[in-house]
Amino acid sequence: MSDIGKIRIRVPSNVKAGDVVRVRCLVIHPMEIIQRDAQGKIIDRNYNYITRVTATYLGKPVVTFDLTQSVSENPAFSFALKATAPGPVKVSFVDTHGGKYEGTADIAFA
Amino acid sequence: MRRLPSLRWAALALLAAGCALTARESPPLASSAWTSRAIPEARGEVKVTPDGKRTAVRYKGWTTRDFGAFRTYAYDDARLEPAVQKAVMPASVVGDPTRGRALFLDRQKGPCTGCHLVPGDDVWPAGSVGPDLSTLGDRKLPDAYLYQQLFDPRVTFPVTVMPPWGAQGTFKPEELVHLVAYLQTLRGPAPPEKDTDRNPFTRSKPVGYGDNLDPTNNPAVVRAEEAQALWSARGPKGKACADCHAGGPKTAMRGVATRYPRVVAEHGRVMSLEDFLAVHAEATTGRALPSESGENLDLTLLVKMASDGLPVAVDTTSPAARAAIERGKASFYRRVGERNHACADCHTPDRGANKFLGGRFLGDVTAGLTRHFPTWRTSQNDVWDMRKRFQWCMTPLGANMQAADAVEYAELELFLTTFDVGKPITAPGIRH
Repeated sequence: MSDIGKIRIRVPSNVKAGDVVRVRCLVIHPMEIIQRDAQGKIIDRNYNYITRVTATYLGKPVVTFDLTQSVSENPAFSFALKATAPGPVKVSFVDTHGGKYEGTADIAFA
Repeated sequence: MRRLPSLRWAALALLAAGCALTARESPPLASSAWTSRAIPEARGEVKVTPDGKRTAVRYKGWTTRDFGAFRTYAYDDARLEPAVQKAVMPASVVGDPTRGRALFLDRQKGPCTGCHLVPGDDVWPAGSVGPDLSTLGDRKLPDAYLYQQLFDPRVTFPVTVMPPWGAQGTFKPEELVHLVAYLQTLRGPAPPEKDTDRNPFTRSKPVGYGDNLDPTNNPAVVRAEEAQALWSARGPKGKACADCHAGGPKTAMRGVATRYPRVVAEHGRVMSLEDFLAVHAEATTGRALPSESGENLDLTLLVKMASDGLPVAVDTTSPAARAAIERGKASFYRRVGERNHACADCHTPDRGANKFLGGRFLGDVTAGLTRHFPTWRTSQNDVWDMRKRFQWCMTPLGANMQAADAVEYAELELFLTTFDVGKPITAPGIRH
């Protein structure tokens, strides 16, 4: 997992002003699963998983995801936004070990 | 009489030509005389403990049941199909429809619902490979006829998809009597459907899983990107793939995957990319790449993706390839395992293809089933190559699997790939 924190963001290529577009983003992350012992008690350890994903478009927040546990290795998130002007979509991921990963994709009008 | 000598010469010339051919292009092995280079769980081995208990070595989470009593795909397995058996319904047992219904749905047995639709909201998911039995009782068929159909339908229909359940011992005679009793209770009209997806004849067909090259959609693409490092990683002999194949995998390997599986004269057998890499990488770089290992799959992904969009162009005309394709075709129609099924039963359009086996939509061999492998399986959360898919097919067949790099599988894969010729490679695929 040398690529931890590597981010890919996909936005549609032919966007017109006013379109609702779906943005998909994926981050390379191990997303450790919380383990339990034989008695069902959580094994006390600082598990590394992403707890917060925030996305901004043209500097304004679009969506925030709060995670309370691991969802999947290399998780993908998708959300929709209304493309009002060409500009960047920024997505940032924060994990429980203090890692902060950021990626940007540009929405360009066709 | 004067023409005889010239004929003799012609025969001699033909013989010589034949010899030249064998010398240049040795025919593929027609037996299993290949030492497997697969990881231990992919070799299809069976362990016998001192007390005589036999357990099959398979992948983690797969059944360890030994199907040694049943016919396999091995070329040296000379066993014949089980003989057709006439059966008489035991008169001493009184059929119980309730028990019959439980047996009909029992996932440890058939389940019969995998192929046949019957009424009931708990029948999920029902398949459509066999006829809809919702109103079978209305036909007033004799009990003895139904019993024979369940015990061994080949008495009435010599080439049926239906397994000989009684003859192979999956159901005991008294269980079949209960099943007959249940089937006779199925009277029409069938109750209205609450959910159209319950009925496989009205269920919507799967439409695909989106862009297979989008890393946010297909995790296999992410895996392939991580595998790039393997291309230039040096093996124990101090060599890497990149040292001989210049320009990176995308350039150096462009079009290579379109020619596989092919007859590799040097090894005297048909080899898929995975088979060839297992031998070639070890010989050149010293890095062991056993079949079904993660690294073998990684490199296969890299090489196959370099041919994305190019049409499959396997050799189907050379004598060696034609002979191998014929053997692969024979395997495709060979009946194996506890169920006495052939690949063709599920995957040809005149039998099960494009129908539902339980909730699973069966692929159609004529549409080409190989060019998207290795593929991400959403149901398994993993990337599988063609061979692991073959081995997975062995469990519902009730047959012990061959080694992942077995000649039998290679020639079967070549036969399947002939249906892909001219169609573009779309690796890595994404499927259920």
